[in-house]
Amino acid sequence: MVQLAPHLFNGLTLGLLFALIALGFTLIVGVMEVLNLAHGSLFALGAYIALTMIDPGWAQNTALGSFWLGLPIAARYAVALAFAPLLVALAGMLLERCLRPTYDKAPLYGLLLTFGAALVIEELIRLGWGTGERHLPVPGAINGAFFFGGLIFSKYKIFAALFSLAAIGAVWFFLERTPYGAIIKAGAHDSEMVRALGYDLARLRMFVFGFGAALAGLAGIVMVPIWGLRPHVGIDVVIPAFLIIVLGGVGSFWGAVVASILVGLAVGVTGAYAPAWSLMSMYLLLIAVVCYRSRGLFGRKSALER
Amino acid sequence: MKNLRVTRRGLLGATAAATGIAAFNGPWRFNRVYAASTDKPVKIGITSDASGQYANSGASDRRGMLMAIDEFNAKGGVLGRKIESVHIDTETTPATGSRVAERLISREECGFLIGAVSSGVANAISQVAQKYGTIYLNTNSSSPSESGENCHRVKFVWDGNGTNFAKAAVKNSIDNFGGKWMLLTNDYVWGHTTAAATRKLVDEYGAEIVDEILVPQGTRDFSSALLKIQQAGPGVVSAAVGGDDQKALRQQVADLGMGDKPAWINNQQDWPDVYGLPLDNLFGVFGTTWYYKLDLPGVADFVKRYQAAYPDTSMRVPGNVFYNGYMATRELLRAIERAGTTNNIAVIKALEGHVMPAVERMQHHDAVVDPVTHQVQQTVYLATANRGSEDPDDMFKILTNSSPEVVQDMGAQSACKLESYADTPTLDV
Repeated sequence: MVQLAPHLFNGLTLGLLFALIALGFTLIVGVMEVLNLAHGSLFALGAYIALTMIDPGWAQNTALGSFWLGLPIAARYAVALAFAPLLVALAGMLLERCLRPTYDKAPLYGLLLTFGAALVIEELIRLGWGTGERHLPVPGAINGAFFFGGLIFSKYKIFAALFSLAAIGAVWFFLERTPYGAIIKAGAHDSEMVRALGYDLARLRMFVFGFGAALAGLAGIVMVPIWGLRPHVGIDVVIPAFLIIVLGGVGSFWGAVVASILVGLAVGVTGAYAPAWSLMSMYLLLIAVVCYRSRGLFGRKSALER
Repeated sequence: MKNLRVTRRGLLGATAAATGIAAFNGPWRFNRVYAASTDKPVKIGITSDASGQYANSGASDRRGMLMAIDEFNAKGGVLGRKIESVHIDTETTPATGSRVAERLISREECGFLIGAVSSGVANAISQVAQKYGTIYLNTNSSSPSESGENCHRVKFVWDGNGTNFAKAAVKNSIDNFGGKWMLLTNDYVWGHTTAAATRKLVDEYGAEIVDEILVPQGTRDFSSALLKIQQAGPGVVSAAVGGDDQKALRQQVADLGMGDKPAWINNQQDWPDVYGLPLDNLFGVFGTTWYYKLDLPGVADFVKRYQAAYPDTSMRVPGNVFYNGYMATRELLRAIERAGTTNNIAVIKALEGHVMPAVERMQHHDAVVDPVTHQVQQTVYLATANRGSEDPDDMFKILTNSSPEVVQDMGAQSACKLESYADTPTLDV
C-alpha cells in the first residue's frame, strides 16, 4: 500500500521547483506580452555559465585559476549562483534589443524571433561546451540524502525547493514593495502613461527582459543538479512554464505560483498511483481548469466577459 | 458489327505499346534503378538523431558510420564506386523518422539507410524502407520487437536487444540479490518489450516481480518512482529507462545514495549517456556489446583510428554506439562487395547468415547475422563502474562475457515473420 504523505510532500517540493522555472517566463509574458520561447535556452545557458564558473578546468594551469579552484566548492557555487544569472541577463537584454522591431507587429513575429534565438543559443552551447552530458557540482552540505519517516529524501531537492520559495518571495517583494516594481507594473498596465510620466519605456522593457532571463538562468543553475545538464535541457522547461502561466492566468504572479504547486501535486500524487499518467496529469489539469475558467485560475476577465 | 482485321503492323504496334505500359505499371512496377552507370557514387542515407532525447548518441552513431565510409573511400570505395552519405535529423521522433526515410529514398535517391537509437524511430523508418525495398541497418536501438514482431526483410539489427542483456544478467542477480524484484520501465516500445523479456526470465527462474513502475518518456523527476521503490523494498530493481530520462534517473539515484541498495540492473548502458559523469552515477550492473579497453586484438588500433578521425571530439574514446555504427556500415559495404552488386536482394542474401569472426569484430565470440530475425547474434558483456581506475575514460569494469548462443532471444525467433523475397521490391542503386 502506497503511503500518500511522502508523495504529497514530494509534489509540493516539485511544485516549488516548477514555480522557479515559470517565474521569469511569467514576468516577461505579464509585463511585455511576449512569449519568450528562448526561456529554456536561457535556462540552459545559466547552468553552463555556472559550470564554467564552478569548475573552470581550462584555467587550472593559471595562477588565478589555481587560486579559484583552491576555494571551497561552496564559495564557488555561491559566486556562480549570484553572477551567472547576471551574464544570462545580458544575453536576455541583447535578445530584447533584437525583439524591438517586432513590438508594433503581430505577436507571431516576436514568437518566431525568440524561437530562432532558442535554436541559436542551444547551438552556441553545443559549440562552446560540447554535446555530451555534464555534471554541475554542488557543495557537500546540500548534497546527499537524509532519512525521514523511514524514507530517503534528497537534501539538494529540499534546498532547491527552499531556494525557490526565497526567490518567489524576493521577486514578489521587488514587484510589490519597491518603486522599480511599481514602474514595471505600471508599464505593463499602461505603457503610454508611463512614457508620458517621463520614464524610458525602452530601457524598462530591456530591464524586464533581462530580469526574466536572469530568473531563467537562476532556475537552470538550481535545477540541473536534479535533471542533469545537456545542451537541450531547456526543451524540458518551456512546455511546463507555458502550461503553468496559462493555468494560473496569463500575467498573474500568484496565479503562476499556485498553478505551479497544483501541477507539482498532480504530477507527484499521480506518480504514486498511476505513474504512467504522471506527465499527462498536468495537461489534464490544464484542460479541466480551462474548460471551466478559460482565463486561468487568477487571470483577469477579458473585455468580452465583462 | 464492324469486322476487325488483325494486321502484322497493328500487332507489332500493340505489342510495343503493351510492353511499354507493362514496364511502368505491370508486376515489375516496384523495380527501380537509380544509377544505371556504375561510375555514379553509392549513396547512403544516414537516419540518426541530431536532436531530442538521443541527440548525443545519434552523433556518436553517425561518427561510426562516417569513419567506416571514409575508410572504404580511402581504399577506392565499393565495387569501384565512391560512397556518399546524406544525413537528415530524425529528431528522436517516429513521425520524423518516417518523413526522413521517405525523403532520403525518394528525393535523395539513397540506396541504403543506416542509423537509429530509438526503437520507435527505427520501426518507423523500417516500414518505409520495406515499402521501397531499401536495405536499412538499425544500428543501435535494442528493443526485442525490432528483430521480433517488427522485423522486416530489408532491416538488419546490429545491437544486442533487451532480451540478450536480460539473459546475461537476470539469473546472476537473483542468485546474488534475491527474488524480490521491481521493474522501472520507460513507457514506450523499447521499455515495454525489454521489461517483458525481463519479466519472462524472472518468472522462469522462480523469482517474483512485486511491482512495475511505468515512467513516461520525458520524465525528469523520478522522486515519486524512487519513493515507491523505497516503500516496496525490493532486492533488485531492473530498469529499462533510456536516453535523457536515464541520465536524470542516474543523477537522482546517486544523489539519494540508492545506487548500492537495492541492486540495480540497467538493461543496457550506452557509452554516450554516461561518458564524463561521476562514477557514482554509474551504479548497478549493465550490459554492453563492446568496450574500448577489451584486451583483444585490434581494439587499441581501432581506438587510435577513432582518435585520428575525431581529434576534437569531447568523447576521447569510442563507445558501444560508435562501434555499432561503424560495424554495421562496414559489414554492409563488405556485403555489397561479396554480392558483387548493389541489388538489394543480392546484398540481403550476402548479409543473411553471414558469420563475422570474433577477431574482426573485436569481441570474445564469433557473431552471426541471424537469417531468421536479421539480428546480429553477438557477445554480450556485463559491466559495472570501474571505481579503482585512475583513468577518467576507463569507466567500465567488465564482469562477464556471454556467448551469442547463451543470450539468444528465442522469442524474437518465433515472433519474426520476414517478408518473402518476392514480396520485397527489388532495387538496384
